[in-house]
Amino acid sequence: MRAQFAALIAGLGVVAVSAPLMAHHSFAVEYDPKKPVEGTGVISKVEWTNPHMRVYVDVTEPNGTVTTWNLELGAVNSVLRRGWKPADLKTGAKISFKGYGGRKILTRAAADALTLADGRSFTGASGAPDAPGK
Amino acid sequence: MKRLALLCLGVIALAASMLAQGGPPPDGFFPVWPPLGSEFTPIASPELAKGPVPRMPDGKPDLHGPWVGGGSNDDIEKEGGLKPGELPLLPWAKALRDSRKEEDEPYLYCTPMSVPRVNPYPWNFLQSVTSKGPGTIYIVHEAGDAGRIRHVFMDGRPHPGDLLPSWWGHSIGRWDRDTLVIDTVGYNDKFWIDSHGTPHTEQLHTIERWTRTSYGVMTNDFTLDDPGAFSRPVALKFMARAVRPDVELMEYICTENNQYGIAAGIENVYQEKGYGLEARPEGAK
Repeated sequence: MRAQFAALIAGLGVVAVSAPLMAHHSFAVEYDPKKPVEGTGVISKVEWTNPHMRVYVDVTEPNGTVTTWNLELGAVNSVLRRGWKPADLKTGAKISFKGYGGRKILTRAAADALTLADGRSFTGASGAPDAPGK
Repeated sequence: MKRLALLCLGVIALAASMLAQGGPPPDGFFPVWPPLGSEFTPIASPELAKGPVPRMPDGKPDLHGPWVGGGSNDDIEKEGGLKPGELPLLPWAKALRDSRKEEDEPYLYCTPMSVPRVNPYPWNFLQSVTSKGPGTIYIVHEAGDAGRIRHVFMDGRPHPGDLLPSWWGHSIGRWDRDTLVIDTVGYNDKFWIDSHGTPHTEQLHTIERWTRTSYGVMTNDFTLDDPGAFSRPVALKFMARAVRPDVELMEYICTENNQYGIAAGIENVYQEKGYGLEARPEGAK
């Protein structure tokens, strides 16, 4: 139920906050709302930087090839203000993501929901964490 | 189906309250709830926001926030309280605005936003006090691309006559009772007034009238005067909100990792031609 609820919130979050999703620029200029993407992989790099934070995820395809996704989040400042900490996103950790692909490069995507192996789910590219048990 | 609709409504309400950082439900104090930008920067609760205007030792309003908002971002006409088409752009300026593409906004390449633009990050007024009494007022923005520190000179000096046009221009200020009036000239024409592409010229002259009406709210009665791009001065109104007391300005270096445009194959049109060098009709400036 909790997972379903989180997924529902994540889905509605797209509707509710997609317009101001990107503080630095318009979401729709770079990302395609008609190209939803998702995947599960391993965090290969985390950039706690402005104007946007980025999480790189290595996803192993069924044929064995590895695709590195470059996921854009909000400004690191807004992510930190929402309670994320560097310890929450560690290189080598398993992670699932949902988002929207780049208009030209699909694997450069805007992250909308990130879910860690321990079930903690972060929704919204601006980095709203769902506190455990919520 | 009805149950699903109800569930959706409930979840939207929950999402809205989450965006508001767990603040109390709306009671009409804020015209929009949750306020724009609060998903990026949490604002003071309505209870705190209703509190009195704090005062400096000399009795003037203490304008320290930090604040979020107080200007426009996407569309100055709409966000400044005008109806569609009311912004009195000269024909060449309207044509230029309509030809501009949002993806080419100079701001996206980490140039300053200038006045009266804001992004959803906090900024602050710093009222300095020296041995001679109240001194220069500084405006600081968190976002590096919102720009450098603005100096608002309060000592009665006039604008210099030979200003080199700059991103933030030259600002002088005075108090009109409890309202801080900031008069700025000397802007360059390299920034866009909004992401819609509203243009201006180096004749731009802005007057900001900042009035803190409670702890949590400050209005900006804004006059935009640019005979080079507008047929008459325009009066606009914006509102800033105090951020939650535990929120301080953070470091924000826009050029640190700006990957703007790569995902969509957007070309940086300014690399070759520079900022503010778009073709304009003869006599437009």
